[in-house]
Order: sequence, then structure tokens, then C-alpha cells
Amino acid sequence: MNVVSARGLTKTYGRGRAARKVLDAADLDVSGGEMVAVAGRSGSGKSTLLHLIGGLDRPDAGTLEVAGSRLDRLTERGFTDLRRHQVGFIFQFFHLVPELTGEENVAMPTRLVNGHSSGLARARALIRELGLDEVSGRLPHTLSGGEQQRFAIARALVNEPAVLLADEPTGNLDADAARTVLRHLRAVASGGRAVLLATHDEAAAEIADRVVHLDGGRLRA
Amino acid sequence: MIASARGAWSRLRGRRGRSLLAAAGIAAVAAMMGTATTVAYGLATGFDRAAERADLPDLIARFEPEQVDEVDARVEALPNVASRSYRQEATEVPLASAGQATSSGAVHVVGDGRRGYAIVAGDDLSGAGDEVVVERGLADAWGLAPGDRLSVAGVDARIVGVAVAPDNVAFPLASAPRVYVASQGLGAQLGADPGLTNMALIWSQDPSRLDTTLVQARAVSFGIDNLRFLTRAGVQVQLDEAAGIVIALLIAFSAAALGVAGVTLGATARAEVQRRLETIGVMRGLGFSRIGVAAQYGLEAVIVAVPAGALGLGVGALLAYGPSARLLESLNELPPGAALLAPLAGCLLVIVGLVALATMWPAWRAASRRPAEILRGAELTARPRRLPYPAGFFGLGARLVAARVGRTAATVSVLAVSTALVLLMLALATRLDALQNDPASLGKRYQLTVNGAPDSTLPVVRDVPGVAAAAPRYEASAADSFQLGETFKLIAFPGDHTEYESPPVTEGRRVQTAGEAEIGAGLANALGARRGSTIAAQLGSGREVRFRVVGIVAALGNEGRVAYVRPTRLLEGDPGLTPAIAVRLSPGADPAQVTSELRSRGIDTAAVGAATSSSREFLGVLADVLRVVAIVNILIALFILTQSLALTALERRPTLAVLRAGGAGRREVALVLAGGATLVVALAAPAGVVLERAVLGPAVADMAVDYVTLPLSADVGQITFAVLGLLLLALTAALWVARQVGRTPIAVALREE
Ligand SMILES: Nc1ncnc2c1ncn2[C@@H]1O[C@H](COP(=O)(O)OP(=O)(O)OP(=O)(O)O)[C@@H](O)[C@H]1O
Ligand SMILES: [Mg+2]
Repeated sequence: MNVVSARGLTKTYGRGRAARKVLDAADLDVSGGEMVAVAGRSGSGKSTLLHLIGGLDRPDAGTLEVAGSRLDRLTERGFTDLRRHQVGFIFQFFHLVPELTGEENVAMPTRLVNGHSSGLARARALIRELGLDEVSGRLPHTLSGGEQQRFAIARALVNEPAVLLADEPTGNLDADAARTVLRHLRAVASGGRAVLLATHDEAAAEIADRVVHLDGGRLRA
Repeated sequence: MIASARGAWSRLRGRRGRSLLAAAGIAAVAAMMGTATTVAYGLATGFDRAAERADLPDLIARFEPEQVDEVDARVEALPNVASRSYRQEATEVPLASAGQATSSGAVHVVGDGRRGYAIVAGDDLSGAGDEVVVERGLADAWGLAPGDRLSVAGVDARIVGVAVAPDNVAFPLASAPRVYVASQGLGAQLGADPGLTNMALIWSQDPSRLDTTLVQARAVSFGIDNLRFLTRAGVQVQLDEAAGIVIALLIAFSAAALGVAGVTLGATARAEVQRRLETIGVMRGLGFSRIGVAAQYGLEAVIVAVPAGALGLGVGALLAYGPSARLLESLNELPPGAALLAPLAGCLLVIVGLVALATMWPAWRAASRRPAEILRGAELTARPRRLPYPAGFFGLGARLVAARVGRTAATVSVLAVSTALVLLMLALATRLDALQNDPASLGKRYQLTVNGAPDSTLPVVRDVPGVAAAAPRYEASAADSFQLGETFKLIAFPGDHTEYESPPVTEGRRVQTAGEAEIGAGLANALGARRGSTIAAQLGSGREVRFRVVGIVAALGNEGRVAYVRPTRLLEGDPGLTPAIAVRLSPGADPAQVTSELRSRGIDTAAVGAATSSSREFLGVLADVLRVVAIVNILIALFILTQSLALTALERRPTLAVLRAGGAGRREVALVLAGGATLVVALAAPAGVVLERAVLGPAVADMAVDYVTLPLSADVGQITFAVLGLLLLALTAALWVARQVGRTPIAVALREE
């Protein structure tokens, strides 16, 4: 079953002569349990695609369905709900909140859903799973990049989303740390979620089930 | 230069939202300064301006009618006299104009020579038949203008001009409206004898030597009855006392506003610089000097600050000009008009300079680092520390704000000052209210008076139900025999006066025998009198009575220029003195009922106003001015909170964007911001309370009136009110900023790093 389904997705930045069509009728399907890598030159629109799927921005045209919701029909509140329950995001620069410990960062999103205490238990379990037990009480600036990204993965997963979107998750990591992170993402997909990852990384492309290329605003297999 | 200005302009347009926020901040601060400057400048210079325009004499003497020649011969002989003119003042004259009438008009019949008033509309008296000039207070109150008709003692007169004379406050603050007529004109029709005078206006050669003139005047005054002097300095002292409190408050406000300006603008600039470190790095890489970089930023700041500052100052000045002008008019002073532009321009300079400096400083600092270092984007922020705040969005907000120690401290201190000022204002308003309505605040323990009643009335009054006690109360105006400019009131009750009036004793003891006096601290200050001194009081009868000072009391009435004595000597000095009857009600008795009981026995009473009815109106106007300032101050507090939250949101855009990407909605963003604002309020509120109670309250109380201690510390109710208000402002600010944050697409905010 497709968790993500996009048809004719179009996004233009700027207006008039400065207009730039970053996505031009792009089609994409990702099903649960599948890990798909989006490859493409810098500036080809990988981040843009992920942002649209994650409900961080709206497309200009096309239809987009994520976890059963038609995004083109959602209100602002609907978008918030989608991000809260159906989508997890991880970023190249980790983006942990510097004032919060690793564990607090992971637990933060559980405050957004009912059942905060069970959420806390999930957060602890994820931290253990990702091998972060030892460092869970530390502030981000005292952690290595790999550790920070694993906390970010835990944070993205803590509300059990249907889709995990990762925008160059290994872009700021050395080879070793990158491998660990990719292994975890692979495991997430194997657990039944859809994982969509934007990357330049060869290794990332290799570990994915499928690689799609973004070029000229369209996606090719 | 033009090219770089154009460049700066386009950069500002590029970040329109933030430029507008900065501009709004500057405008708000400027508005604060505009109000403060308008009121303070008006009050500080109002008297001098009016005195100057009116050609106010240095000395005004009033006395029983005498031959002009007789008086002039004596005045001419006085030392230090530059010029002189004479008037005849008639009081209790009926005045009437379309639908309006009073029986207590004061008609000044003026002769040749200097006039001592300023014409502010129409023309001065030419001497022709039916001309009258009315004081501005009357013109305003009755809606009169030159060309209108006014009946003066039944004679139909034509109003030719409107005048201002600051030797007295204006009608209706002064109970008698004043009109001027020429002695050859309407004066003759009214039957005024041009050979008589009861008022001399004297201009001195050297105002600083006026005392010599006064002493001489006293010495040659035999045969002239009921002589009273009013000096220009004496008038000013009384007016300044009232204005001083307002000016002091406004100066405090301006200082606070400037503090706000410095802090918030500095912080905005810093955040801006941080966001544009890369640009700075590139500029440096391209060979711009540090000064060049800083100048670029300074130029942008000036482009924003000049219009925003001018707009804010203009709005603030317009807001305050009305109430301030009314205050001045009621004091018979002149509003500054175009002269206000100079201090406002000064304010604009200060604001623009401050903004430019606050902007250039962080740019200068950032530019001092090596370009390569800047381009690598080395963080300007301090490392976060673990802080013991609650988890969750609310706690997170507190941590975000607390992470910026310096700025939070600055915001907190500015907000604390602002809180303290609001508390002070509330305390002051309560105090003014009490002074206006509650006789007890003046130490008076009786509620009604019966004026001009025969001795036989007293037992009748005492028998009325609801009356606890009644006693004759003597009051006489007096001047100090040595310093004739210093006037005061002698108040006497037979027996213990504290049953009726008991101002607290601050030094010495109460009066026990006929030769003793308790004097108000205001009088003590004016005369330099202490316990053991003797005061010599020149009564209206022309006779002198002496008392030994045994105590100093904190009396509020008559600016503390009072002396409590026993009636014996007072009556020896002025046997014609008739007492009023002071009526003290039983606890719980209804004044209205007692009043009507007394009336049914043919006895008319008057309620004891706390402040006299004229100063009551002044207090009302004062409260108006304070209200405008308070409203602006509340806006400022709201602005500080909003600005500091907006800055936090700006600096932490990526963090907020990540929270939003994770599903945080507007509610959670608002919660984060509310957490930050609450932390600021939680720190600022207690600091503000302490500041008001320990420093501002006592300081202003001292400044306001030196003859008595005004309790100006905020009470629990006021503190609760202020703190709740502050929290409400915090919430408002959080909601507003959260709305703004919600409007930026998350994807855009995320790209910023
Ligand atoms: N908010 C925006 N306004 C204007 N142009 C934008 C905006 N966001 C992205 N772009 C442009 O859209 C194009 C695609 O950007 P995007 O970030 O999606 O590319 P990307 O493939 O993720 O690149 P990279 O590999 O460098 O991260 C770029 O040319 C970018 O400059
Ligand atoms: Mg990208």
C-alpha cells in the first residue's frame, strides 16, 4: 500500500522573470516498509520535494497523498496534525534544541499527542535501541555528530509516524557514523514505515530499496 | 554616499518585516519621549513663558481702597522700583452672558501704565466706552470670544480681547472669574472712582533685591489697611510644587524609555548582525574596513530611525499636547507652541544617535574578527548551559530566553523600571484621589462646617442626631512680619484641636497654652523656623501677634503653611474674627441626613472637601496627564515584551521551525513564547515592586512635597493588579509573536541555517 503518492507535483519559486520551476510534474510512490533514496544535483529540488511531502510547504499543482490524507485539501490545522502524527523529519544539521538534553529532545514531541507517559516510555525505548543510553542526559553540544543524528532519528520516530523523511542525514557525518545512521534508517523501513531520503551519498543510495533521480523537476527511476 | 544610501535602502526593503519591527520599536520609544518631553517642557517653562508675555509684575500689593496719589507717593519712594501701575479690584461682581452667570466675578479697573497681562486673542482695551477683556479661563468655560457680549454688573459690554495673567490660576480653578475694564471706559460707567486704588503692581529694577523693597514697603505702609503682598517668586513656588512631581515622574519615564531604546535596539542589531555574519565576512573579504562595515549598518539604522523617531515623537507630542495644554491653561500659563520643536528635535537627535550606535557596535565587533573566521559562521552565542526549568514547551521557552543572560537582564531591568513606574502611578492616583475626596487624608476629623452662624447656633448643632461634637473653628490669613512674602494660615480651636484636626507631630509636642503654636513643616521650611523659634504673624487687621513654636506637624493643607494656636491671642489681634463651626459626625452617621436635619433648623452647612475645591480640579487635571503617561507606559511595556519575544523567535527560528516540523502548532509555539515571557515577568515584577517601594516611591514623595511624608508605596491590591496586568501583556505578546511565527512557512525558516 502506498504511504506516499504524488502525481504531477509542481513547485515554482519566485515570480515573473525570476520564476524558477523546481518541481515540474513530478510523480512518486513510496509504500510502507520501503526505503527510497532521492538523488540529484545540488539545487535540483530534493529538499523541496521532502518539504512538500512533510507538509512544511504547499505545492502549486498536482495531487499529493500522505498516509491517507490528501494534502492539497488540508487546512493549516490539518497540516499540523499530519506533521504531528504521520511524518517524522530528520535534517542534515540535526537541529536538536541546544538547551535540551538528548532525552528531552526526544521526549518533546510526545507532549503533542495524548498519553504523555507512554510517550516517555517510547522515547526511552528508542534511546536504548539507538544505543544512546549512556549519553541521554547530555546537552547536544557535548555530543558527536553521529550521536546527535541518532537522537534526531529517535525524535522523529517517537510519535510512530507512517513516513520518515530524511534530508541528507549523513551529509555532516564521517563514514563510520554515516553507516550507523543508515543502518538505523534501514531498520526503520524494515519495521514497516516508509523512509524517503534525500542524499548525495553513494552508500545511502546502495542501502536503499530504490533510487529515484530528480532532474529538470521530474523524477526518474 | 547616495549609492550606499540606495544600497542600504534596498537591503532594508529586502527584510521588510524586521525593518518594520525595528521601526515600530523606535516609534514606540519616541512616542514615550514625545509625551514626556511635551508635558515636562510645557510645565517647566510654562510659568516663565506666561510671566514674560504677560509682563507679570514682581510684586503685587492689595489693600483697602486708597487715593492713588497717596499710594503712589509712597511707592515712588521705595528702592529698586522700575515702574508701577494701579488697579481697582472689585469682587463679587455679577457677570452674565448667554445662559451663563456668576455673582462672584472680579473686575479689575486698569489705568495707564503697564498692564501685567497678556492678550492671547483679540485686542487690548483702547479706553473706549463699553470694552471688556476677559480672562482665558472664563472665555474657555463660557465659550466667549472677542465680539461677544458680556454683562458686567448689569452693564452690557463688548468683549474685545482674551487675557492671561499668571498671578493667579485660571477660572474655574480660581473661583472668581476675572475681567479687565479701562478706568476711562467701562470703569467710569460702572462708577469706579478713578482717583482710588486697592491694588499696586510693581516692577523692580533688580528682582533679586526684592526683599529690600518689601521691607521698605512694610515700613511705609502705616495707614494702609489689610495690606497683602504677592511676589512673582511666591506665585512660582506654589505652581512649581505641583508641577515638580509631574516633571520628576516624566524624567523617570524618559530615562526608562531611553533604556528600552538602547536595550532593544542593541539586541535587534545584534540579532541582525548574527544573521548576516556571512555578508559581513564577504564585505571584509572584499576589502571593506571595519569602519566601512559599521558605517553601512549605521546608515541603515539612520534611514529607519529618522522617520520612525520623528513619527513617534510627533504622535507622542500630539497625544500629550492636549491634556498638557489644559493643565497649563488651568494654571494660567501658556503652552509652548512652536518652541516645543526645539526639545523634540533634541530628542530625535538622541534617538537617532542611540540607534545608530546600538547598531554599529555589534557590526563593528563582528567585523573585527578575521574574514575567514566570520565566513565559517563561528557562533556569536554563548554555549547553552543546563538550567533547572520545567520540561515541556513552556519550560523550553524559559530556557531559550534565559540562555541570553545579558539581554534578558537588560529586558528585565527595563521592564522592572516600567512596572515600578506603573505602581508609582497607581499609588499616586490613589493618593490624589484621597486628597481630593477624603478629609481624613489631610488630618481633618470633622466632616461638615457651618459658616457665618451666630454663637447661639453651636448648642443647636450639638443636639442634632448624628453629630458627635461641634466646636468653633477660627481661621485667619497672616503674613510673616519679617518676610512679608510668606503667607500662612492661623487655625485655632478652643481647647484640644486634635479632636478636629490632628496632623501628625513630627517634632516637639502639641500646643498647651495660649502663646504656643504647632506649625506645619511647609511653614517651618519657608521661615526657617524650628522648635523654640518665635513666629510673628501680621494679621489682616494690621496687628501683629507672636507665638512660640513648640512642635512641627505634617500638615498637608495650604502646602503645610499653617499654624495651630489657641484662639485667645488671635482674637486679641483681630477681635472681629468670626469662627466657623466644625461638625464631627458620629461613626456611621450619614452626612446627607445630618445636613438636611441641620437645614431643617435653618442652618446651612458645607461639606469639608479634602483639598479645597480649586486644587481639587487641579488634581483632576494632573490625574489626566498621569493617565496619558500611564497608557503610553503600558504600551511600552507591551512593546518591550513583544520585541524581546520577537527577537527570541528571530534568533531561534530554526529551533521553532524544527518544533513545528515535528508537529508543534501555533498553540505550542505560543506556549514556548509565553514561557519565555513569564520568566521575564517573574523576574521583573518583584524587582519592580522592590524598586517602587524602596526607591521610587520614597524619592518621589520627597520631591513632591517637602512639608509632609506622602505614603506613596504601592499596596497589595495595586501590586496584584500590576503583576496580573504584566502577565496579561506577556500573554498578549506571546500570542502575537506566535501568530507572526506561524505565518512564516516552515520550509523557509529551516533554510536559514
Ligand atoms: N524559498 C525559496 N525561495 C526561492 N528559491 C528557493 C527557495 N527554496 C529553494 N529555492 C531554490 O530552489 C532550488 C531547489 O532547492 P532545494 O533546496 O530543494 O535543492 P536541493 O536539491 O535540496 O539542493 P542541495 O542538494 O544543495 O540541498 C534551488 O535553486 C533553490 O535556490
Ligand atoms: Mg537540500
